[in-house]
Amino acid sequence: MTPIPVLPIIINGCMSAFGGLATLKLIPAFKDHFISARLCGIDLNKTNKKEVPESQGVISGTVFLIILFCFIPVPFLSCFVGEKCNGFPHNEFVQLIGALLAICCMIFLGFADDVLNLRWRHKLLLPTMASLPLLMVYFTNFGNTVIVVPKPFRVLLGMHLDLGILYYVYMGMLAVFCTNAINILAGINGIESGQALFISGSIIIFNLLELNGDYRDDHVFSLYFMLPFFFTTLALFYHNWYPSSVFVGDTFCYFAGMTFAVVGILGHFSKTMLLFFIPQVVNFVYSLPQLFHVIPCPRHRLPRLNPATGKLGMSWSKFKRKDLSKLGNLILQVAVRLQVLEVQHGQEGHDEFVQCNNMTLINLVLKVLGPTHERNLTAIMLPLQNYHFLWFYYS
Amino acid sequence: MDSNAILYVKATYLKIIFNKMQLIPAFKDHFISARLCGIDLNKTNKKEVPESQGVISGTVFLIILFCFIPVPFLSCFVGEKCNGFPHNEFVQLIGALLAICCMIFLGFADDVLNLRWRHKLLLPTMASLPLLMVYFTNFGNTVIVVPKPFRVLLGMHLDLGILYYVYMGMLAVFCTNAINILAGINGIESGQALFISGSIIIFNLLELNGDYRDDHVFSLYFMLPFFFTTLALFYHNWYPSSVFVGDTFCYFAGMTFAVVGILGHFSKTMLLFFIPQVVNFVYSLPQLFHVIPCPRHRLPRLNPATGKLGMSWSKFKRKDLSKLGNLILQVAVRLQVLEVQHGQEGHDEFVQCNNMTLINLVLKVLGPTHERNLTAIMLLIQVLGSALAFGIRYHLVRLFYDV
Repeated sequence: MTPIPVLPIIINGCMSAFGGLATLKLIPAFKDHFISARLCGIDLNKTNKKEVPESQGVISGTVFLIILFCFIPVPFLSCFVGEKCNGFPHNEFVQLIGALLAICCMIFLGFADDVLNLRWRHKLLLPTMASLPLLMVYFTNFGNTVIVVPKPFRVLLGMHLDLGILYYVYMGMLAVFCTNAINILAGINGIESGQALFISGSIIIFNLLELNGDYRDDHVFSLYFMLPFFFTTLALFYHNWYPSSVFVGDTFCYFAGMTFAVVGILGHFSKTMLLFFIPQVVNFVYSLPQLFHVIPCPRHRLPRLNPATGKLGMSWSKFKRKDLSKLGNLILQVAVRLQVLEVQHGQEGHDEFVQCNNMTLINLVLKVLGPTHERNLTAIMLPLQNYHFLWFYYS
Repeated sequence: MDSNAILYVKATYLKIIFNKMQLIPAFKDHFISARLCGIDLNKTNKKEVPESQGVISGTVFLIILFCFIPVPFLSCFVGEKCNGFPHNEFVQLIGALLAICCMIFLGFADDVLNLRWRHKLLLPTMASLPLLMVYFTNFGNTVIVVPKPFRVLLGMHLDLGILYYVYMGMLAVFCTNAINILAGINGIESGQALFISGSIIIFNLLELNGDYRDDHVFSLYFMLPFFFTTLALFYHNWYPSSVFVGDTFCYFAGMTFAVVGILGHFSKTMLLFFIPQVVNFVYSLPQLFHVIPCPRHRLPRLNPATGKLGMSWSKFKRKDLSKLGNLILQVAVRLQVLEVQHGQEGHDEFVQCNNMTLINLVLKVLGPTHERNLTAIMLLIQVLGSALAFGIRYHLVRLFYDV
């Protein structure tokens, strides 16, 4: 068994910490450039209408790339200095470069989306395109599409199942899912960078725990990406935390989602990684009726500020009763019965109006807790990300 | 194996380029809404023209190559006709794509954020880092064959060590900026890149029968998609331009050329195809270093009455000029490569000289010319430069190396 490459990990950690500091300084330094380029927005939940620079994910993403570009030869130094390796580990090298290509492409396309305001269908296309190199590298490096069947299904499917091309579809979809899942759990200061920070922190802890296991190399590989990601995101989080002086932009959601997909796929722990995404999955499932427009979906679903109290309350989707389909009606009734939705009825003129809270996890938390200050709301949402520590502990 | 792969891909290119030609007009509104647009300074109408269209041709280029990644290695999967998977070739392909992808990204960020001049030197250096790392781990060869005239001093071979990496890094910086400063008339940026890539393709095809076949096949894998995507861009960028290519394109083109030159081991030949760019760069040096004052734009100026372009000028006070500046002016006038005019305004003596660009030099020789004709002449110069390059590479080369 190969020994733990302690030195490369430590070097990576130091470079990442340094990169985090650089990001911390660079973000305020480029503020004016972004505002001049009109890459800025107004915080909808603040009373002041100050312009806040957007797309700051491009800065943390660029620093991430530079850290890793400089890091490329480090895991292989023992092969050059002292010649202590048995033949150059080409496939590991390819994996590193291929992963960087997918992430670099995603940051680029994500930034292009922020600048050009591409349509919704592009939000599905762009991660698929950026994950192509990842799929190609996987194909040429491993090509393994056989999965171990979970115990309950073994009676039907046997011990192993060759998914063939479906495995590649799954990998492609993973990138699309991760990027968009982070993107829709949004709207309050610090939630996007915060959730990514906590997810990467969890993955780092998972990797460290698995370093003593059978798949050490996979987890070392994951650490090489998660450490720089954690520190650059930490710097971004510092500026993005309430009250936000910068917004992360879709660039960051794409960047984060792709980085997680990359480590999950090439580290062969995508199922575990998805467990860290449970709040995002819950939010996604809860959002489905609105995402498919079965329940009308407004442009913004973020919570609304009550200027009088300074607290955030649920935001609502208002529509005419007659515009609602049968399926929509059914969903409303089921959700109300399960106590996960608040519905109000009203009359305006001849039309009967219905309004329900926008179906996001943040609104659901507000439904349970009542109006909450934005900072506290984010502080409550983030630890939800780490509930699984209890799960690990008890299992 | 390789030639079949090339032919197969070429067929798909034509299909894709047809789609791409439609993409550029399709995204026009997005660019204008994002304020990524400019006014054509040499037209009387003030219509907004979308900028940074290099991002579209660059993205299509990347997608073509992403899909192409497994193709050169298909024989290893289907039929198992290869002796061990050629990992180093695979790494080279992916590493090259990483450098180009990063460059397109940083180039687009520069177009959007209007970064400073020092960033124009930093960005290509950062994007070429993966290239240098891949070179280091794949070859690590820093020994060059010394040209004949210098062998007495330096011997047959010389190990440049770290200087070789500095050279590679500088190559990307040079190529990107050299294309960027030979600019200003409709179609010149995309046109020059198109003709350079065409020359490289011809060179690669000629060398397919030689000893370094693999290097030239590798270069073709990149030059073919580049040629066709740039052709589509050139179609929209040609006079009168309905789109501008942006710094994004100059970065993209420069890095792609640097990548094939470095990993294909023919960077010296590739620089021969850059002769017009080198001449323009050397001629521009006094202004780039501000020894001669350098205005914001140095492109030729439209004479609205005649509809033709004439030289553009740099005007400054005589007393503001340094001794070195004076010397350069005098030498250039004597060599007949510069036109200088003197004048008086109030107490100050003014001097004006034409901006020191190759385009202005051509206008000095030919007199005022219509923009379309001027671009055509510049591209003809590019072709002549390439012909000269082939002459040097295949004939004069014997003066420097044993072939």
